[in-house]
Amino acid sequence: MTLLDAQTLARLSGVRLRARAVMEGVLSGLHKSPHQGQSVEFAEHKEYAPGDELRHMDWKAYGKFDRYYVKRFEHETNLRASLVVDASASMGYRSGALSKLEVATSLAGALCYLLVRQQDAAGLTLLSDGAMRELPPRASAGHLNVLLEALEGLTPKGPVNLATAADHVAEKVRGRAMVCVFSDLFEDGPEGLKRMLSLRQRRNDVVVFHVLDPAELTFPFEDPTLFLSMEDSARIEVNPREIRESYLEEFGAFLAACRGACAEAGVDYELVRTDEPLDQVLLRFLSRRQGRRR
Amino acid sequence: MNFANPWALWGMLAAAIPVLVHLFDRRRPRPHPFGAIAFVMRSQKRTASRLKLKRLLLYTLRTLVFLCVPLALARPSCAPDAAAAALTRGPAATAIVLDASLSMRLRADGNPIYEDALDEARAAIGELLPEEPATLVRCGVGDGPPEAPGFDRQRLLSQLDRWEQAGEEFADLNHCLTLAARALDESPLPGRRLVLISDLAAHGFRLESPAPTSKDPQGADVKPEVVLRPVGPEGQPGNAAVVALAIEPAPQAGPGAFQLTATVRNASSQALKDAELSLQVGGVTLAKSFLDVPAGGTVRKSLTHRFEQQGAIAGAMVLAADALPEDNARAFVLQVAEPISVLVVNGAPAAQRYRDETFFLEPALTAPGTPVRSVFRDAEAGLKEDLSAYDVVFLVNVPAPDPEAASRLAAFVEKGGGLFVSMGDQVSPDAYNAVLGELLPRRLRDVRTAAEREDADVERRAGRITQVQRDHPLLAPFSGEAAEGLEDARFYRYVLFEGGNQEGGTVLAAFQDGAPALLIGQRGRGRVALFASTVDRDWADLAIRTAFLPLMQRMAAYLGGGLEERERLQVRVGTTLTLSPPERVRVGAVEGPMKNVPFRAAEDGSVVVGPLRVPGAYVVKDLEGKVLPSLGFAATLGTEETDLARVQRDALQAWFGEETVTTAGENAEGREVPVWTWLLVVAALAFLGEGLLLRR
Repeated sequence: MTLLDAQTLARLSGVRLRARAVMEGVLSGLHKSPHQGQSVEFAEHKEYAPGDELRHMDWKAYGKFDRYYVKRFEHETNLRASLVVDASASMGYRSGALSKLEVATSLAGALCYLLVRQQDAAGLTLLSDGAMRELPPRASAGHLNVLLEALEGLTPKGPVNLATAADHVAEKVRGRAMVCVFSDLFEDGPEGLKRMLSLRQRRNDVVVFHVLDPAELTFPFEDPTLFLSMEDSARIEVNPREIRESYLEEFGAFLAACRGACAEAGVDYELVRTDEPLDQVLLRFLSRRQGRRR
Repeated sequence: MNFANPWALWGMLAAAIPVLVHLFDRRRPRPHPFGAIAFVMRSQKRTASRLKLKRLLLYTLRTLVFLCVPLALARPSCAPDAAAAALTRGPAATAIVLDASLSMRLRADGNPIYEDALDEARAAIGELLPEEPATLVRCGVGDGPPEAPGFDRQRLLSQLDRWEQAGEEFADLNHCLTLAARALDESPLPGRRLVLISDLAAHGFRLESPAPTSKDPQGADVKPEVVLRPVGPEGQPGNAAVVALAIEPAPQAGPGAFQLTATVRNASSQALKDAELSLQVGGVTLAKSFLDVPAGGTVRKSLTHRFEQQGAIAGAMVLAADALPEDNARAFVLQVAEPISVLVVNGAPAAQRYRDETFFLEPALTAPGTPVRSVFRDAEAGLKEDLSAYDVVFLVNVPAPDPEAASRLAAFVEKGGGLFVSMGDQVSPDAYNAVLGELLPRRLRDVRTAAEREDADVERRAGRITQVQRDHPLLAPFSGEAAEGLEDARFYRYVLFEGGNQEGGTVLAAFQDGAPALLIGQRGRGRVALFASTVDRDWADLAIRTAFLPLMQRMAAYLGGGLEERERLQVRVGTTLTLSPPERVRVGAVEGPMKNVPFRAAEDGSVVVGPLRVPGAYVVKDLEGKVLPSLGFAATLGTEETDLARVQRDALQAWFGEETVTTAGENAEGREVPVWTWLLVVAALAFLGEGLLLRR
């Protein structure tokens, strides 16, 4: 059992604390990884503009040129990350300590921590109740608070439209960026996932975190149950024992389709169970990416 | 289709349980918001038709289990169609013989097997072909001959309704089957059939006798077809019975004490352990004991009880109940003698006790347990006593009383008192004849000396009692070895009496020369006994013989009217009993466990009671409703029905004729086809299938 398992995280209130805990867990894991000793390299000067970090002001250049310049570094300039978080009603489902949305926001927050810590720009696209909220990528420490607060205020509600979100992200992202999608991918039809994956064709680095509850994966129900839809008024009464086999077949096909589509598009796919330690999820994800980079 | 346990068919109602559970057990499903509901709906849609089929199969299998198990418990078996069988043999005149003997009262599952027999009889009537005439024969004691076969089925069924109970007697099935076969003689049909409904107890058959035959229309003897319809449990049902009861006075236990010895027989293959045997009077247990009886064995057990009340006591010895409780009780009626007050007038008292006239009489009359209360007086005082205080007066070697005393004695006897007169040196025949001549059974003549005690040939010359009226209650016990005490007594001297032409004088015992030794006579309501010798050793040595004590005891009881003047009356159920009521007494009713006991007076004054159908103690009342204690009697069961072992089927078939005997309910091979085993197999398969379906 790790300190960052679902039960422990559930006791931490708020995305901020949970994300930080996950991030620290990841960093602790990274000390043992090949990432150790990696540093940020100076790339160029840029004339100061309001909003730039004052701590990057190059005072020597000011003395030399009497103009304000700020330093720009290699990493900072290389990575812009947009994290798309699905906050549809179905993401509010939980059979254990954490709901899918809580897991998604915790992961997203931890990633934000990591990105901002290494001077990368992190932004959010939050989808909830059919609407979309955009927080553009920035690398400032202050922006991290904005991101975490936005994640914290997120509640599961209504349906979402991943396709629209994909189009929006494609429109907003300039150049090469990393797009992380946190969703259960339950929205109707395959169009949303396809559009998300199409971002890869624009040379974006796309990662799909497929967040699922163990109950959705194993369908452990025994007694006759009235299942209620979390996004509309649909309901159905079934004897779970009678349909379990069929359900698992259906769900297995769905997972295989998602995984296959991602693989075909060259997109990283991470299946995230809400009952597994989240730092392990991130470490697994980072290790895989590191391995691929080599 | 036959069912061994038809009550189990009610269990088939359980077949409705799966449907009822489906209809009424609508548990509210737990609502559960679920993100992946789309997959649930798709799965449900995909499996709906398969689930419907599976559910239908489950209901079917469960219903099959609930149907098959109770049906199997009812133990159905396929019997051949009786009508079809009859068609192949041709119609036959039928006599249905219903065993109504005691053994048919055996309880199986709490009910007498006779009830099953009645059902079998109804079934046999129902299976008759329309063209088959039939008659019923009830096999019990006293049942009349059967009627000619007829076609009125309703009449037969009504007959059965009247025969609602088995009897309590032994039934001779040979006789009943013969009667039944004869009843078929007149039928024009070529076929003859006997249907025997019985427990087939071996005691009912005499297989050494010829089997029953009937005559065909040509007058030739034919063996009828025999259909056996056995009832009751297979094998040998356990049964124990009280088969005999002996009652003897037990004076050592005090006045009114009796020893009752019951003989218990265990006619089963299991030993009887700690069975309770009790003495009951009026439903109250007075004494009880426990006994073990080995399988097939017989044990005697005695219970001694002292009855406080006098007169007739009606009771029973009862063995703990078993499947045939009727033969576990044996009734009795015994007489407890009432106290008899005796005045002994001693005509020859002596200072030396052994010379006293009453030296031997006194201990004889005051023996332990005796109802006799004796008072001894000498002649002078005794003859002045108030005689009304006594039941009996003994004058032993008393000189002739004065006329006044003689008239008081005569009045005493006239009113019902008893008088015993023995002879001796003090007795003068002439003086006696003068004052008591009318009272005594005979007048005295003179004294005869047969021998002197000191004579060498005294054994040869002494008088001996050679003629004894043992049919008289007074001397009834002195038979067999007990007679020696009376017949071996030597009489050296005795009084001869006048000729026997006086009214009431009866010689109960006489010497070898024909001279009376003991006379009795009736005077008014009283009795007089005249003994020809002495009650001490002066003239005879009877006083030192074993017969002396009982003779004197019985003499006192007889003269006092307290002697049981008959053997203990017992009658076997199914027979009649002849009672001899006292003179001028007319029987008004006989009451006991049987209602409306028939009785009729015979010309000789006796009363014939019965036939008695129910065992138990009976009392007889006079016309005024007063109980006549001396006429009470017990009706007891025969012992033939105790052993309930069935007759060997092979022996029975051989007796009737192998080819003629069939057993109802058996097919051509003699066996019913058991269906219930297959039903259990089906139920097991259905249960297995249901389990497999549930696991899928």
